[in-house]
Amino acid sequence: MIQLLNTTLIGLTSGAIYALMAMAIVLVWRSTRVINFAQAGLALASTYIGYEALQLFNNYWIALVCAMFAGAAISAFIEIAFMRVLLKHTSSGPIASVAPIIATLGLLGIVKALITMYWGGQDAVIKPPLSNTGFSIGTNTLVFSPMKLAIIGSVAVLVIVFSIIFQKTNIGLALRASAYAPEIARLAGVRVDFVRTLGWALSGASGAVAGLLLTSNGNGSFSPESLEFSLLLISGFIAAVIGGLDSLVGAVIGGIFLGLVTSFVLMYVSGSLFFIAPFVILLLVLFIRPQGIIGVKAGRRA
Amino acid sequence: MTRMNRRTLISASAVLAVAALTAATVPAQAAEVGVTSSEIKLGMTLPMTGTASPGYNKIPGAMKAYFDYLNANGGVNGRKITLKVEDDQYVPTQAVAKTNKLILQDKVMALISPLGTANNKAVAASVNPARRGVPVLFVNTGFSGFADTKKYPTTYTILPSYIMEAKIMAEYIKDNFAGKTLGLVYQDDDFGTDALKGFASAGINFAVKVPYASGSQSAATAAGWVTKLSAAKADVVILFGVSSATAAGLGTAAALKYAPQWILGSVGGDATTIKAAGVPAGVLYNAVGASFAPATTDMTDEYVKLFSDIYAKAVPGSAFDNNVLIGMNSAFVAAQAIKAAGTNPTRKSLMAAIESKGASFASAALLPLNYSKTSHVGYNGYWFGKYSPAGDLKPVDGKYVLYTTDSGSGAVVKSTWKRPAMPAKGLPQ
Amino acid sequence: MLLGVAIYFLSGAVDELRVYQGATVAVYVVGIASIILLTGYSGQVSLGQGALLGVGGYAAALLRIELNAPIWLCFSIAILTAALAGALLGLAAARLSGPYLAGTTLALAVGLPSIANQFGFLGGEQGLLFDVGFPPLSFGEDFTQYKWFFWIASLATLIAIFWLQNVMRSRYGRSWKAVRGNDVAAELAGINLTRNKTLAFTLSAGLAGLSGALLAMTIGTVSPSAFPLALSFSLLTGAVLSGVTTLGGVMIGAVILVAVPDIAEAVASRFGSSEAVTNNLPGLLVSTLLILTVLFVPNGPVEQMRARREHRVNNKPS
Repeated sequence: MIQLLNTTLIGLTSGAIYALMAMAIVLVWRSTRVINFAQAGLALASTYIGYEALQLFNNYWIALVCAMFAGAAISAFIEIAFMRVLLKHTSSGPIASVAPIIATLGLLGIVKALITMYWGGQDAVIKPPLSNTGFSIGTNTLVFSPMKLAIIGSVAVLVIVFSIIFQKTNIGLALRASAYAPEIARLAGVRVDFVRTLGWALSGASGAVAGLLLTSNGNGSFSPESLEFSLLLISGFIAAVIGGLDSLVGAVIGGIFLGLVTSFVLMYVSGSLFFIAPFVILLLVLFIRPQGIIGVKAGRRA
Repeated sequence: MTRMNRRTLISASAVLAVAALTAATVPAQAAEVGVTSSEIKLGMTLPMTGTASPGYNKIPGAMKAYFDYLNANGGVNGRKITLKVEDDQYVPTQAVAKTNKLILQDKVMALISPLGTANNKAVAASVNPARRGVPVLFVNTGFSGFADTKKYPTTYTILPSYIMEAKIMAEYIKDNFAGKTLGLVYQDDDFGTDALKGFASAGINFAVKVPYASGSQSAATAAGWVTKLSAAKADVVILFGVSSATAAGLGTAAALKYAPQWILGSVGGDATTIKAAGVPAGVLYNAVGASFAPATTDMTDEYVKLFSDIYAKAVPGSAFDNNVLIGMNSAFVAAQAIKAAGTNPTRKSLMAAIESKGASFASAALLPLNYSKTSHVGYNGYWFGKYSPAGDLKPVDGKYVLYTTDSGSGAVVKSTWKRPAMPAKGLPQ
Repeated sequence: MLLGVAIYFLSGAVDELRVYQGATVAVYVVGIASIILLTGYSGQVSLGQGALLGVGGYAAALLRIELNAPIWLCFSIAILTAALAGALLGLAAARLSGPYLAGTTLALAVGLPSIANQFGFLGGEQGLLFDVGFPPLSFGEDFTQYKWFFWIASLATLIAIFWLQNVMRSRYGRSWKAVRGNDVAAELAGINLTRNKTLAFTLSAGLAGLSGALLAMTIGTVSPSAFPLALSFSLLTGAVLSGVTTLGGVMIGAVILVAVPDIAEAVASRFGSSEAVTNNLPGLLVSTLLILTVLFVPNGPVEQMRARREHRVNNKPS
């Protein structure tokens, strides 16, 4: 019984972090129809900047905010300086569909290399601000602590904030319009370019929080090659795809779903399946529902 | 031939020609590979980065500190010893690539202290230093198979084997924890299975065995280990993994309020590394650990004093821990071997020197080296200690009691060997 | 033929490290060719080619270990096994496109190699040894094992590329190009989309399997860490650098992938930089090259040159 509860709690916590990452990917997809593979690398970079901010200000929450701003700024910069140029050059030709994917992969490589060059030698530790000792129920200890509660809480807050932005504000409407029909949106007076950059910036902020919370989910130490960050890249993307790529709610559902199922598989089937499990889950979901859990079926063009 | 085919051919030939030309400018060979009149080059592969690297990535700095000290005092027979280090991230295929580079491109005289059981096995199979006559000195692994002189004729071990360690640990458990439920966390490759062999031959039965795939250790996966260990109600748990795995296990167990009697294997038992990973000293307190060298906090020991002084000057601000001590010790033994190889050392004379004179080399360990014409085994035993409240390993009751054994069916016996005095200034005589 | 002779002479003149690198170049050539077939000709993106290399590598190693089969048989089985995997993947992928296909192949790249940790006979993280044995004594004392690797790899590569060129010029190649251009029109013209795409996946996977077996030969071991995600990315990079739509420049990408780490290390040690910089400079350079290529030479240098030549021909003042 306790093991069941623990497994669910582990899954919920990691699922929340995946959901954040998935949201970041969906934000970029919805605003520019590009899958940003570099997102996990940017999350890592933002986490390191958070680490530097922590050294400076000695307060975790300030560091978190700094990381968010850094993530937003870097992502916006990439969108302006890089993606726009890229999309202009490669909007036609045999490589058109592949170019953005390859470009963001190249970007991931550059970001990772730069991060390791600058920070690689250090053992970076971001001490979690809240205790990681589990709550006790009688003689049993749960794999759930004040810190993990804070993680789930932060994710929930961000999801609500993003939903409000998207559904209730004019900016949100403009974001949705710019993705689907940029020309029409422009005619209607929407500043499409600004809105696209905003989408990337929000994505960067979301990724930054995911990265920072990821380190706080463990003992706070992280490095460019740490297992958790590799998992973040894959899982965030898979969660987004499972959720249907087109809606933020789908991203959250995809993330939590992936986190829970993976946790159960790891505990009850075998502990070394952490790379296979997401893969199999993805295959199963796409097989049953090729458009994802909340996705909309793409119409035929003919 | 089509135009495409021709273009491929042209570009291919051009590239190969350029490669050939650049390779043709190789300078004239010295008397022996890696040896010039002023320098002897040694090569090393280990994880400098990656999940397994914490703690071990201090070894190159430690060895270089000793070699620089040695070079400043005249080197060996007038030659400086230099160390070329390559990062293999504890991945066997990378170890193969980097070792290839060290032997073929950097042209080192010998490999020294390459780290990792799986890594050394892959290198032996693929790069085959034995067939090339390249000495592999003092491998940084305890895999018992490397002592097989037929399979690995140019390899010399220095660390006691994992089978030896398991057998000696078994004796300690029988003396102190008889009747308790035992658990084991081990790495899922030859490093771990060697230990399993040793425990089995000593008659130890585990209630729960938790393997982990190399590279998968983290706080998240450790939660799974701890859940299994506490479900089996193990009172005594042996952590026989690398440092990062040990730290993950200890840290997560503390967070989940699971506190069995811990026994830490020598590979992952370095206190400084574990504490640097965020494990509180209180968790380490009273855990059992083993070593064959003096405790790193024991400043009354002349080797510890000298080596920590050298290291503090070379790498200020870095803590002197077990990895540093053992690294400098290996460098010290290697220097003596090179000196014993004569005024014009060759790979063959180096190996002959270890086999004929190695047993009498000075070293910081509290055990003798066991090199001979038929044995490439270095140390063969351990002393047991407990971690202090500050989390440092100290011998039980302040006295070193050493046990030795072999990798076969030999019994575990107490050693009466007394370490001779350190040669002047810690330099080869 | 000429190339074979050239290789023979050069392998004699060049030192062992270069020969080893040459074998690695051959591995990459076949791997990149497999991507050119899949992405350049058939328009499907796969981020998981590394996994298919793994299938080939493990198949070859297992055959060698269990049955001590001769090398050519090991390679052939590797190709067939990988092709089978590719066929399955292709059937699944025919329904997916764009990001969904990318995501699935990405998960494949990460998930498939780690299956080795599940089954004991696959060797786990430590891997299996793949020993092709020593060159026949008739070649003489001086013929090192790495030279032997180089010969085997080059021979296999030449055969594979030759075969691939024929396939690309056949009606299959034309039908792939048609689907890539406009799949709706192609279907209307009578091409069965699923069969067409699956065939591309199958053949591409077979090539990838050969590349994987060759890689296993040069490293001597197969393990999950020999086929990491980075390998898939490297091959994709190499394909883009070569020009993903044409086979002509396939050597360029392969050579860059092998030469850049070398050059980067020489540069870094010249300037005496730290370990961190030296280790990461190759990755940085390759990624930068990739992005520059995508931005400025998206179709690859070979296509660019051909287009420029045609442009000049067409615009010659009469």
